[in-house]
Amino acid sequence: MIATAKRVTIDPITRIEGHLRIDVEVDQGKINKAWASSTMFRGIERILVGRDPREAWLFTQRFCGVCTTVHALASVRAVEDALNLPIPINAQYIRNLILIAHALHDHIVHFYHLSALDWVDVTQVLKADPVKASSIAESLSDWPNNSAKEMAAVKTKVKGLVDSGQLGPFAHGYWGHPAMKLPPEVNLIAVSHYLQALEYQRYANQIVAMLGGKTPHIQNVAVGGVANAINLESEAALNLDRLYSMKALLDKVVSFVQNVYVPDVCAVAGFYPDWFGYGAGVTNYLSVPDLPLDEGSTKFDLPGGFIPNGDLSKFHPIAGQKDPYWRKAVTEDSEHAWYKSGGPLHPWKGETDPQFTDWKEDGKYSWVKAPRFEGQPAQVGPLANVLAGYASGNPLVVKWTDAALGKISAIAKVKATPAMLHSTLGRHGARAVRTAVLSELAVKHWQLLTDNIVKGDSAIYNKPEFPKGEIEGVGFHEAPRGTLSHWVVIDNGAIKNYQAVVPTTWNASPRDSKGTSGPYEASLIGNPIADAAHPLEVLRTVHSFDPCMACAVHMFDPTGNNVSKVKVL
Amino acid sequence: MKTAVYGIGNILMGDDGIGPAVVAYLSSNFTLDPDVTIEDLGTPSLDLPNYLSGYDTVIFIDAVAADAPPGTIRLYSREEIVATPPGIRISPHEPTINDALIVLDFAGGAPKDVVLVGVVPQTLDGGMTLSPAVAGAVPRVAQAVMGELGKRYTAQRMAV
Repeated sequence: MIATAKRVTIDPITRIEGHLRIDVEVDQGKINKAWASSTMFRGIERILVGRDPREAWLFTQRFCGVCTTVHALASVRAVEDALNLPIPINAQYIRNLILIAHALHDHIVHFYHLSALDWVDVTQVLKADPVKASSIAESLSDWPNNSAKEMAAVKTKVKGLVDSGQLGPFAHGYWGHPAMKLPPEVNLIAVSHYLQALEYQRYANQIVAMLGGKTPHIQNVAVGGVANAINLESEAALNLDRLYSMKALLDKVVSFVQNVYVPDVCAVAGFYPDWFGYGAGVTNYLSVPDLPLDEGSTKFDLPGGFIPNGDLSKFHPIAGQKDPYWRKAVTEDSEHAWYKSGGPLHPWKGETDPQFTDWKEDGKYSWVKAPRFEGQPAQVGPLANVLAGYASGNPLVVKWTDAALGKISAIAKVKATPAMLHSTLGRHGARAVRTAVLSELAVKHWQLLTDNIVKGDSAIYNKPEFPKGEIEGVGFHEAPRGTLSHWVVIDNGAIKNYQAVVPTTWNASPRDSKGTSGPYEASLIGNPIADAAHPLEVLRTVHSFDPCMACAVHMFDPTGNNVSKVKVL
Repeated sequence: MKTAVYGIGNILMGDDGIGPAVVAYLSSNFTLDPDVTIEDLGTPSLDLPNYLSGYDTVIFIDAVAADAPPGTIRLYSREEIVATPPGIRISPHEPTINDALIVLDFAGGAPKDVVLVGVVPQTLDGGMTLSPAVAGAVPRVAQAVMGELGKRYTAQRMAV
């Protein structure tokens, strides 16, 4: 037993790559206090002041190297909202397909390449029987690449890596940790799918490139629509040939999501049922509707709204960007963030004036502000999005959620219920459900676009006109990591203020002026810690949110200092 | 032989934008062999492997943390890059060039020939301009990249 509380800090130590620092206090093998902190000031919204709103998206997509498209789209939506400018339906469908393809890519990468290694012990693969692994995988789905031969080849590959004394891409895992519980064969299946995921996420990225002109940094967006010329007679334009090559890529990704990603998440969840009991944290959930189905963005394929205290019966839908309920509810508080004003301030009045102190646990300790919805912290992300869909009876969300819970119940041999989704594992499960829903909607929106083009509609753009005087707009997007909103104030056609309230700001929020913790902080309380020097459990819960510290300076550090450090005091 | 020249860095963060700046300079002042792809990749992190597989040679231009005056150019070999072990990842932004190469070495498809043309930054504070020392280094960095290409191709030439 640990006699006194220990402080554990996980900090990406360089000033360059430092984005997220987590401090926890561990007592009696459990976390009883937690702080989430972003260690780098950006304030890059200030670069936009004075610029032409029509070009803001070109800058905002540089906010983050991983989520370039989402910031491009939220930006043009914000300016269109300020202008009350509808966009042609082709433009909506093209944007929707880009957003879906990006999300499919992003969710697959998050699970296999960022967080699966929190649950999968690669060194256990050496003990796995490939024939048994193959039969387990084949019992989970009809995916054709689960043969014993395939599994044996992956096992040989991993053996080569272990024999070389270098664990290659897996060198940063906590191997042999007592909290690792998967049978050797399931570890082998997971590594085999890790390799296949590398290939399939690339197809999704290729769809973004086909519509966006290139990746990263798409080129086809404009305030008022898109720049994809549509002409069925031209080889240089969006034509049936291109639409069908895109469909071929899409079909591959859809199959991977439904036959590999979803069953894998259910299998991992089934072996770690304890983790449905940890990590709920803040159970106020915020999501916004997305995938608009009309020119004025009033009807959507995916619902969004606010759920207080995890109570689905109290779900309050958000109708659209114009909904006054949404427009009035968002504020940001800087009481514990390194900015001058305490707030809370509405984003249109938002300020970005730095005031750095040291890291002070009772004072200011993060560069992230504390966003609040009607004054309360809110968790954002796929779980919030799926719960909104479940609460509103969206047939696709209900179908995939129930299917996933059924699969988990069969493996865990306990009844999995929607209430268990308020947890660390629930966030992974919900992300898989959302990906499956999006995989079906991808095909739907591809068909809507194709049918509309075949019908003879080639409109893609409505020209924006800027009025004299001041106007305000908000553009939102339900991004892979949750609700993203860009808030713009335009004065005589130039940007006067610009604030991006990004998903990770909601989730990595520090305490607010009332002392209420944000979702990361709250979700860590009560997590078990088997070994304070190897805080795998902290990574499990933090990774389940898919952190993306609105990034990103990138610098190669040949001294090896881009390694995160764990410090125990 | 397929070669890629990639500028890495965030153009909104001061000298971190050196990679993209050199790519812009090369694209407007030189005509490259048709086998050479040149691209500003921004800060791709976990997505970087997507842009590497299938190439024989990759030349990166990136800001580097080295104890030398701003604007100093340092070249790093593939061996030196992968010698840096990957760390515990908290967010998808942390994986860097070494992670991407290590992932592809395991999965297959990694470029065998890799050079990093590194430039020491002065400031990484928010802003869209390079510091004078780093801005002044852009033509020299471009020449260093052309020198690396020249070792592998004969067709590079200055644009008229």
